[in-house]
Amino acid sequence: MFAYLVRRIAYGFVTVLGVLMLLFVLFFAIADPDDIARKAVGERASAEVYEQWKKNHGYDKPLIVNTDHGAAEFARYTDTLFFDHYRRMLTFDFGRSDADDSPIAGRILAGAVPSLSLTVPLFVIGLGVGVFFALLVAFFRDTYVDRSVLVLCMLAMSIASLIYIIGGQYLIGMLLRWFPISGFDPDPTVAYRFLALPVLIGVVSGFGADVRLYRTVFLEETNRDYVRTARAKGCGDIRVMTAHVLRNALIPILTNVVLAIPFLFTGALLLESFFGIPGLGSLTVEAIHGNDFSTLRTMVYIGALLFILGQILTDVSYTLADPRVRLR
Amino acid sequence: MKLSPIGFASFCCLAVALLVPACTNNPYPNEGGETRVFYSSFAEAPRTLDPAVAYTTSAHVITANVFDTLLEYHYLKRPYELIPALAENVPEPREMADGRVSLLFRLRDGVSFQRDRAFELNGEGIDTRIVTAQDFAFQIARLADPAVNSPVFENFASITGLRAFRTLLSERRSGDTDFAALRADQQYMALGGVPGVLVNGDNELEIILDQPNPQILYWFAMPFTTPVPWEAVAYYDGNEGRDRFADHPVGTGPYALTVYDKQFRFVLERNALWYGAQSEHRDAPGAAFPALSDISDEDIASGRIEPAYAGRALPFLERIEFRRERESIPRFNKLLQGYYDDGGVIKESFDAVVENDDLSPEMAELGMRLDKVVEPGVYYIGFNMDDDVVGRAAGDRSRKLRQAMSLVVDVGQYLEIFLNGRGVPAHSPLPPGLFGYDPDYRNPYRSVDVDRARSLLAEAGYPGGIDLETNAPLKLTFDTGDTSAQGRLRYQFFVSAWRTLGIDVEIAATNYNKFQEKVRSGAYQIFFWGWIADYPDPENFLFLLESASARSATEGPNTANFMDARYDELFAAMENRANDTRRIEIIRELTGILETERPWIELFHPEAYTLRHSWLLNAKPMGLSYPVFKYRDIDPDLRAERRLAWNKPLMWPLYAFILFIVAATLPAIRTLYRERT
Repeated sequence: MFAYLVRRIAYGFVTVLGVLMLLFVLFFAIADPDDIARKAVGERASAEVYEQWKKNHGYDKPLIVNTDHGAAEFARYTDTLFFDHYRRMLTFDFGRSDADDSPIAGRILAGAVPSLSLTVPLFVIGLGVGVFFALLVAFFRDTYVDRSVLVLCMLAMSIASLIYIIGGQYLIGMLLRWFPISGFDPDPTVAYRFLALPVLIGVVSGFGADVRLYRTVFLEETNRDYVRTARAKGCGDIRVMTAHVLRNALIPILTNVVLAIPFLFTGALLLESFFGIPGLGSLTVEAIHGNDFSTLRTMVYIGALLFILGQILTDVSYTLADPRVRLR
Repeated sequence: MKLSPIGFASFCCLAVALLVPACTNNPYPNEGGETRVFYSSFAEAPRTLDPAVAYTTSAHVITANVFDTLLEYHYLKRPYELIPALAENVPEPREMADGRVSLLFRLRDGVSFQRDRAFELNGEGIDTRIVTAQDFAFQIARLADPAVNSPVFENFASITGLRAFRTLLSERRSGDTDFAALRADQQYMALGGVPGVLVNGDNELEIILDQPNPQILYWFAMPFTTPVPWEAVAYYDGNEGRDRFADHPVGTGPYALTVYDKQFRFVLERNALWYGAQSEHRDAPGAAFPALSDISDEDIASGRIEPAYAGRALPFLERIEFRRERESIPRFNKLLQGYYDDGGVIKESFDAVVENDDLSPEMAELGMRLDKVVEPGVYYIGFNMDDDVVGRAAGDRSRKLRQAMSLVVDVGQYLEIFLNGRGVPAHSPLPPGLFGYDPDYRNPYRSVDVDRARSLLAEAGYPGGIDLETNAPLKLTFDTGDTSAQGRLRYQFFVSAWRTLGIDVEIAATNYNKFQEKVRSGAYQIFFWGWIADYPDPENFLFLLESASARSATEGPNTANFMDARYDELFAAMENRANDTRRIEIIRELTGILETERPWIELFHPEAYTLRHSWLLNAKPMGLSYPVFKYRDIDPDLRAERRLAWNKPLMWPLYAFILFIVAATLPAIRTLYRERT
């Protein structure tokens, strides 16, 4: 397994280099650093301010080859935007925001806690509810419970997430007045009040897809021989579902679930935006709106890193869930 | 104890049923609304709060309440009137023997900066100091500092030696590393400061102008020239974990910024050291609520202003809270719940809020008030007068083309479709409320007349939109910097209007950067633009069309590149003239030139609608004046009572839902039980 992990990490590193190349093309070659600087300091800024801003943000170097240095000099290739981009990203030196000069690493750290306080409960509760209802409908398969929940799932999947958010805010925050419509408080003793509604909406909006997926997995398992054997040995229906079917259905569930875990850090774009939660999702949306290229490319890079991490974790989790799986 | 899944589900339902009644939709869990706190929201944090740079409304909402200015606008009087604030008087410009003009400001005695750790640069334990004239001079020098990048440098360029100071500073910095290593204030001092800013002792500041510039007084009512302590600029440099000065304003105003979390909330709290709180300044014009004689009957009748506040010492609010609301719908819903004290009317709920241009009965029942104010701005379609087809080179032909195009744009319809009617059709660049605005003036080219437009087009040599010279359809380009679907729809409205004349106008939508590039290179024909005034003077609108401001010649804001010798002559005569009848006559002549020449198709003056709760007192629409929080007050008891009444949780749907789930699953459970037994 160790050799497998080393190999996967090596593959992952190559993928990261590829992602960084793509980011370089998008954020430096296509988006011209001069344009970025002009947007940041304004149209009427003096040349001095403009050049100083480019220097402060590391946009003042040539793209790939620095002809200020001699052909034999190593700096000809290291004193460039290309090299600088790779060096900064690989050493996690994200620099400062193009929009307001604040350190990007600090903003990411500050945004991670609100994001996690939303996404972790959303993930755990969503998973619990999804598995519970999927087990329930698999248990009552081909009855009116199964059919009704399936219809409900199809309906739930047909509605856009924005409708859930706006409708949920109106129904629960405005008409029923159970929770604040939006907002956040870092104080954990009151934060739950603000998180209850987005978590509820997140769970409901993901309900249809999750239940349908897990139901299919559970139904496939319930037709297996071991289930029949368990029943023949007098094992109760509920025990069959929870102790045997659920455990054996873990592999496809893990594929869906473990991959999602790293992305809990990057937050939920829409939910954070509509509920005023100052997390990393909000940060990304703000970077897009505010032409904050340095923050945006950092968030894209972190997203790619987390995706690779998620894939490795998924593979490892297979061995934990199923002893037959060997990673070589 | 082992819990079965059904038992677990029942437990969950019970827990929910018990927990939810403890819930509330109050977004301020530790406050019930009984304190004098004003609650508002913000969508995006300002990029900077540096008073030399901040030039957006969202920034001025903070900076204008944190930084006092030498002068300010009277809170209630319209047209706007300047009153002294940190200055003891509004200076009378004095012409000097050499033709230059002097403005002498006598400063209030004993004004202090708010408490801040930056003052520890003067010694341990020191957290404030007295403001001197030098602090104003420092800030004016900052306006000229290229490193500060102030967007208003040109507006102060009439101060003697300001431009030379800028050049000198730049040269010394690039040529002398020792000089460049000094603090900003030391660099300014080493250069002897700005020659036209004279510090006569601690309490007298004299500004020398190269030529008369009466409008410059308005700039002293904006935070750009507020006193700034050198200590704050030096200390808040963004290094070693310290804030940047752009995020940490240190001023003398009635409020101090105590929380500035750009992702979450801002808090302004009362500044105990504010000059208005000192007994010797309590009666200063900017420290007391206006006298009863200054409160108009209209303000009293509309409920905006409470006459009982006349003459009372300011400020009234203890704290101002801004919470971040990125989206307009939740923001508006929280306003309706009473959790924000005022807010705009969103497009999605416009019909529910406004009926027949007034409050809907539902809103009136909530005790809301609708304030409508025409903003001092103008939106227009401009023609690039440097262009061969629509510009001056084509002479009378292009003039008639522009006149024809102006005659088919129905701005009333545009306002109804895109802005819910929030705007006043414009007949000239001057908005209502400004000196020189004539409410009876009707521009003959700004009322829809398709027949006349067709005949003008034919006279121009484009009958039915066909160019007689080439026998090909006339094709024009509408250049925009907005690629959104909404933007495209808006521009399509104008294009459709011109199509009725047979003119084929293509929308060239690019991103804003590319559009700016087009403007820089002059590669544009027709464009849509707007202007919001910096100060309430007709000069601030009419200069947008003088030759000296032409974009192609001087990089100025005259994007239409309109250049007309007679217009320039009249503008020069009007620019620095006092508001008298002759000035009105000149303005009429100026608008007459624009009426015929049509470098612009004037569209509308924007109108802002604001909803305010009944417990918010003395909230007059601010327009150009932003230090308004010191005048406002809250009736906290009324607010607490209304919030409580409006926000009682409705629980029966939850119980009904639980009952429904139980009833729906009961037959299945019963069947299962029967099968198992």
